[in-house]
Amino acid sequence: MESRFSIKGRKELARPAVYVGLAVIVALLPLFFGSPYIHHMLILTFIYIIAAVSFRTIVISGQFPLAHAAFMGIGAYMAAMAAKWLGMSPWITIPLSALVTACIGMLIGYPFSRLRTLYYAMGSLFFGIGVIQIIYAGGSWTGGYSGLTGIPALLPATTSKIPYFYFFLGLALVSIIALYRIEFSRIGTNLKAIDQSHVVASSVGINEGGYRILAVGVGCFFVGLAGAGYAHYNMVLSCSSFNFMATLWLVMYVLIGGVNSFAGPIVGTIILIIVPEFFRDLKMFSPFVTAVILGIVVYLMPQGLVGLPQLIRSKLTEHRKVKKVNHAS
Amino acid sequence: MELIIATLTNLLILSSMYILVALGFAFLFSMLGILNLAHGVIYMLGGYIGLSLIMALGLNQWLALLLTTLIVATFGIFLERYCFRPFVGDFNRIIMICVVLTVVLQTGVNIIAGTQILSLPPFAEGIFRFGPASVSYERIVTFAIGAVLLLATTWFVNRTKWGQQMQAISQDLEGAYLQGINVHRVSALATFIGCGLAAIAGCLMGAYLCLGPFMGDFMLVKVLMLTIIAGAGSISGIFIAGLILGSLDSILPLLVSGAASDATAVGILVVLLLIRPQGFFGHEVEM
Repeated sequence: MESRFSIKGRKELARPAVYVGLAVIVALLPLFFGSPYIHHMLILTFIYIIAAVSFRTIVISGQFPLAHAAFMGIGAYMAAMAAKWLGMSPWITIPLSALVTACIGMLIGYPFSRLRTLYYAMGSLFFGIGVIQIIYAGGSWTGGYSGLTGIPALLPATTSKIPYFYFFLGLALVSIIALYRIEFSRIGTNLKAIDQSHVVASSVGINEGGYRILAVGVGCFFVGLAGAGYAHYNMVLSCSSFNFMATLWLVMYVLIGGVNSFAGPIVGTIILIIVPEFFRDLKMFSPFVTAVILGIVVYLMPQGLVGLPQLIRSKLTEHRKVKKVNHAS
Repeated sequence: MELIIATLTNLLILSSMYILVALGFAFLFSMLGILNLAHGVIYMLGGYIGLSLIMALGLNQWLALLLTTLIVATFGIFLERYCFRPFVGDFNRIIMICVVLTVVLQTGVNIIAGTQILSLPPFAEGIFRFGPASVSYERIVTFAIGAVLLLATTWFVNRTKWGQQMQAISQDLEGAYLQGINVHRVSALATFIGCGLAAIAGCLMGAYLCLGPFMGDFMLVKVLMLTIIAGAGSISGIFIAGLILGSLDSILPLLVSGAASDATAVGILVVLLLIRPQGFFGHEVEM
């Protein structure tokens, strides 16, 4: 009896230990790679991991928003404008603009909660395009077509990017843990129930509209956080980082990893940002690398990259079964 | 007077081009629920293939237009067979394959033609004068080709056996299977026609405005708006929605300046979508 308990305990401890180990390895990466360019790529990876994981939080509630990069843009421009024109400290603007993004998301989520599946996706797509057009129309307030420059930096100016690396690593870890807790709480269960059947979910007393708006609010809060951090890190904003194609790339990060698993967006973002960097020498041809990765996943891995081990396992057992049948006959 | 005529011709040309590209998208959308996000790139590809046929092979413009249509339409059949048919009903993988196509085609065009803005030679030259009004022949020819093609497509969908099979599939997929309609062959035909129409629109717009590797993104957004506002399975709905969109795009810039006019147009469309999510003329598509 005792031994079985201890084995179970060891197993329960094993998974968190692996995750902590992974986080420590990532935190030690700057020791091995000294180049600021690699630090920059890692920081971007952290920012987009937050965005991709928060995108998935909305997706599990059965909504497919095609405006997520636009919400990132709202967060980024809010933070940048508050810091630049009102002189607020970046440490205040980042949480504040995340809150404002969440409020805007929930306000928009209210009328949109009557749209379903494809029509929700299209409605949010139009909303995202509208946001970009409003930013373009903002004139000198938002920088318009030429982009917003002169945004105050988050940390005192140094040539090294290591302080930013640890800031965004912390931000990403906190966001991932928070979103993980939300997904595997009662709220997350309710959201998944709405995804499976909104009729059944509302018949057992789940407030469908309320939970869908809540999911959008949570997702927008974290993507606003990512956007605001990006604004104070990059110090220059342009609309092209938040347009429809940017949203589609965020969707790709989630889908390539596997939308059915929490780790999917994280794996997908890392693969799609880091792997093309190895092929930087190809210059103009390097987008083909991304296309090849995507193509392989589309045709061979229906569950995304996260489903790969399971796919291999099921193929192997199938093979074994066939062998056994052959032996028996 | 000048302003009114310029706006009116602009409205007609923009509307006819939007409808021309949107028809191909709407066929697939209403028949199989496929959201073909690569349709904008196919439109762009049409313009570039037309340009390279004229420039590299020195073909006559009209011959080049015809050849481009055939090439891109054949590419459409390949697209339907290997990119859409395996994933029908799987929203996520359809989006992914469309992004793959977009990346491959845009990068290919970027490498071969460069990112600079190009333009096809005009299909007609000179200015048509009628009293105080003057319209360039270029605009008249563009609109005439668009109108003829739209009428022909409408006739095809409403009056031929193939077109009626397409309508049957868009009304009820299982019912169409049960009636013995070869759904795969009909959807391949729909993709063939849709890609051909998009390629013609690409050539015409490349001569009327300009060619750029990213011109498809703009058109894709317009096509999505048009199809969603019209609703699935209604050709006349697409015509009306195309006219609405064309008039928004050509009249609003007169009233509101710059990017604000685009923002207003998008705002109006979002409100329209919220009033009637399933579109104004067709039926809802189930995913």
